[in-house]
Amino acid sequence: MSVNDLLALTPILILVLGGTALLMVCAWYRAPRPLLAGGVTVALMAALAAGLVPPPATEISGLFSATSYARFFTILWSLLAAAGIMISARYVIDWRLGAGEYVSLVLYAAAGMALLSSATHLLGLFLALETFTLAFYILIACNRRCEFAAEAGLKYLLTGAVATGFMAFGIALIYASSGSLHLPEALTSLTTATGALQAWGFLGWGMFLVAIGFKISLAPFHLWTADVYQGAPAPVSGLLATGSKGAVVAALVGVIAVAGPVWHDLQDLLWFMAVITMLAGAFGAFTQQNLKRLLAYSSVVHMGTLLVGLICQSAEGNVATVFYLVAYVITSFGAFAVIASLADERGEPMHFDQWRGLGYRHPIRCAVLSLFLLSLAGLPATAGFMAKLVIFQAALHSGFTGLVLVGIFASLISFAFYLRVILVLYQSQNETSSWHPGSAMEHAVLTVCASAVLLLGLFPGILLDLISLILT
Amino acid sequence: MTDHLLSLMTFFPLVGMLIVLFLPREADRLIKTVTLIVTIIVFLISLPLAFDDVFLTSSAMHYTEFVNWISIGQYFQMNYNVGIDGISLWLVLLTTFIMPIAILSTWNAVDKNTKGFMALALLLETGMLGAFIALDLFLFYVFWELMLVPMYFMIGIWGGKNRIYAAVKFFLFTAVGSLLMLVAIIYVYYFSMKAGVPFENGFSIAHFAQLDIPANLQMWLFAAFAFSFAIKVPMFPFHTWLPDAHTEAPTAGSVILAAILLKMGTYGFIRFAIPLFPVATMKFTPLLATLAVIGIIYGALVAMMQDDVKKLVAYSSVSHLGFVMLGIFAMNLQGLAGGMLQMINHGISTGALFLIVGFLYERRHTRLIADFGGLSKVMPVFAVIFMIMTFSSVGLPGTNGFVGEFLILVGAFEGGLRVYTVFATTGVILAAVYMLWMFQRVMMGKVTNPKNENLKDLSAREMVIMLPLLLFVFWIGFYPNTFLSKMNPTLENLVEQVKGKQQIAMMAEDMEQSVTKIAVNDLR
Repeated sequence: MSVNDLLALTPILILVLGGTALLMVCAWYRAPRPLLAGGVTVALMAALAAGLVPPPATEISGLFSATSYARFFTILWSLLAAAGIMISARYVIDWRLGAGEYVSLVLYAAAGMALLSSATHLLGLFLALETFTLAFYILIACNRRCEFAAEAGLKYLLTGAVATGFMAFGIALIYASSGSLHLPEALTSLTTATGALQAWGFLGWGMFLVAIGFKISLAPFHLWTADVYQGAPAPVSGLLATGSKGAVVAALVGVIAVAGPVWHDLQDLLWFMAVITMLAGAFGAFTQQNLKRLLAYSSVVHMGTLLVGLICQSAEGNVATVFYLVAYVITSFGAFAVIASLADERGEPMHFDQWRGLGYRHPIRCAVLSLFLLSLAGLPATAGFMAKLVIFQAALHSGFTGLVLVGIFASLISFAFYLRVILVLYQSQNETSSWHPGSAMEHAVLTVCASAVLLLGLFPGILLDLISLILT
Repeated sequence: MTDHLLSLMTFFPLVGMLIVLFLPREADRLIKTVTLIVTIIVFLISLPLAFDDVFLTSSAMHYTEFVNWISIGQYFQMNYNVGIDGISLWLVLLTTFIMPIAILSTWNAVDKNTKGFMALALLLETGMLGAFIALDLFLFYVFWELMLVPMYFMIGIWGGKNRIYAAVKFFLFTAVGSLLMLVAIIYVYYFSMKAGVPFENGFSIAHFAQLDIPANLQMWLFAAFAFSFAIKVPMFPFHTWLPDAHTEAPTAGSVILAAILLKMGTYGFIRFAIPLFPVATMKFTPLLATLAVIGIIYGALVAMMQDDVKKLVAYSSVSHLGFVMLGIFAMNLQGLAGGMLQMINHGISTGALFLIVGFLYERRHTRLIADFGGLSKVMPVFAVIFMIMTFSSVGLPGTNGFVGEFLILVGAFEGGLRVYTVFATTGVILAAVYMLWMFQRVMMGKVTNPKNENLKDLSAREMVIMLPLLLFVFWIGFYPNTFLSKMNPTLENLVEQVKGKQQIAMMAEDMEQSVTKIAVNDLR
């Protein structure tokens, strides 16, 4: 590993070393506030470094890339980690969670996500995936007083272990038939000279996709999602729903760009997965009475829609996927941030009965939540609408009319359940009690998310142009 | 000033909404007053349009504005492209005219979270005006969806007992249609790109209308658009959301819904579905005319059997909009002009009837016909106004309804829809039956229910609400030319364009058939 490699890794190193330093410091100095502030600073510095320090090499040890695409996601996940720490601050202080440990775990997770989005090697991909998965095992179960948290942590651990097994075996099979783990070759060498596909390699990719399916909760591997999101603290659920899934999707976009004929053979399978994911998510969300579970199923629907963009395997589809991803990350994280900002010593408002009429108690935050929900539903003038539009447009362009129709049907059901939440928020005024007024940091995060949702909805051109630029 | 008149008119309610949002929540009266002033200002802004004589002679778009809005790489270009012509002129004015009336009607009716209601009403006005002036299909879609949300919440939060059910039903029905329309819009866009329409034009309908879309593709695209618009109209099998939405919606919501939102459907046919897909229009005419006639008769029959006044008026809308659709698909000047005029008429008379039902409900908190009877003795002024509006809805000569229905029937009869016209005419008779019977049961006879003995007659505010509507009932009834003369040039142009394309398509089909015949003969 040369100096150039290290320089190219600067943002990741800042995250990892900063996290470790904070972990060390907290052994002697346990005041939570400075540690949290330190965590936010480290994450912001990493984002800054990724944006400002030009990488001297575009590939690091053949494992990770340092292209502008990788840098884009490094910035995104670092900012997400900073926002995640900001909305966790009150949890950490009130529940005495151990600020150093919490902050460093979030930073490690961000480092893992950033590495995953830039992986160019199956081993690099595997390592990065395990890095943030391990961090999340602990973060999910960090509140030991909550009985759901332990259950959630265990569920995530078990499904994660199964996924890891699938992935490791899949990678082994791919290596056995292609002789390479480096990404273009691991896919392109799967075909023999006559153009036929090697069966073992194909099986390997199938297993790989099963593992991916667990990670980003594609149906039928999505069953853990709702339980885990419900049990984990809202900021962690927010990170889990956005960052951990987004990083995998970002990596997939990179894989697909070089996939070639293998992808074509997997297309039918993925088509089917996208359809059942969108439908399972939409119908699953329809009956929920708990906002966190509803958001979990909503994330399932969104992952299905993202898969539609991936299936296109066109430049337009990739741009659409990345745009959708960014829009989804901002919106969904914002929705979880609203829940986090309302939480107090009673816990978080989750069940619809706790939300009933809350729009009159906390008008601004509930209006912001409504905005996020409308954006998730995909209403014009929000980021979610633009995102859906570009994805469906790309799919129509590539000839996947059936997928678009299913996607539209799922959107329709989504409309019904998102709007139902908003109606609950503005029903009868007198039944609920007030929740926490929220800290300044939480309000800042919400302001940023809400402005971004509106900005991307009205002027999506800025981000779309940037994405087309980094993808070429 | 006139350069940006349309934008000013469309977005002024949005400014008003922001002002309303910053007013203190408890200041009920203040919020209502500010909203009323904003809607009146919007009406005043739009008023010069009514006096502009350019519409008398020109069929082109006026007051156009064009700004590049969203461009996505080399894939997508959407523009802020608005304008107004003889088709949208009166619908825009109807919107700005009805809004202050609707707001005034909420004075005592809405007392729960007034701020939210007024903010939504203003947002709704922006959405409606934007949809009427949009010349870019994508922009139209954005405004079209924008209208949906405020209406959903108006029904869902301020509605009656079954409000959630009605709101969800309203939303789902309309959303199904609009999402399919979105797919069709994107499809047309791709087609235009392939056909070489310049990228900068975006979704401009003027350019889409010049495309030569193959007939079988037109059928699909027309079906997607028509489905969406037919739900909104609503046409016969898609009308079931309407009675629920109307019964549960607050009075102002019902008025806006009936007077303006329903017109979005019929307007959509005239502005988008027909000029963009003329050949498919020709093929679909028998089906749509049949549905229109079924709607006319079915709506009337169901209205007759209602025991709730509001539901009766709601079903009468189904019947009336059936007439509008019949007129539009006659595809000649009389039919179209009648359809357009009947859209305005329906806005005025049904809007007024919903207001009247609202007045009754505010006084007695019931809408059942059986609870009333003999009200004309207690409320003489109310009785007169109610009677005039009933006549207008029935289409008595001298009122606006007569002119519209007459033109439609003449147009449809001459436009090759004779059999349909015969059946549709029974709808006129049925309308007289259900409206007059209802009027008789509510207003005539003796006061049987003691609760009705001391009802107050209309207040000054309620008179102010009804008088402008009365004015237009007679204005259109006696001198419809004021309105017709300004929409005729545009409609003539539309008929010419559509008929021309239809004839070319028919000739092409004949050619094909004769070619095959010749080929068959050769074989023999």
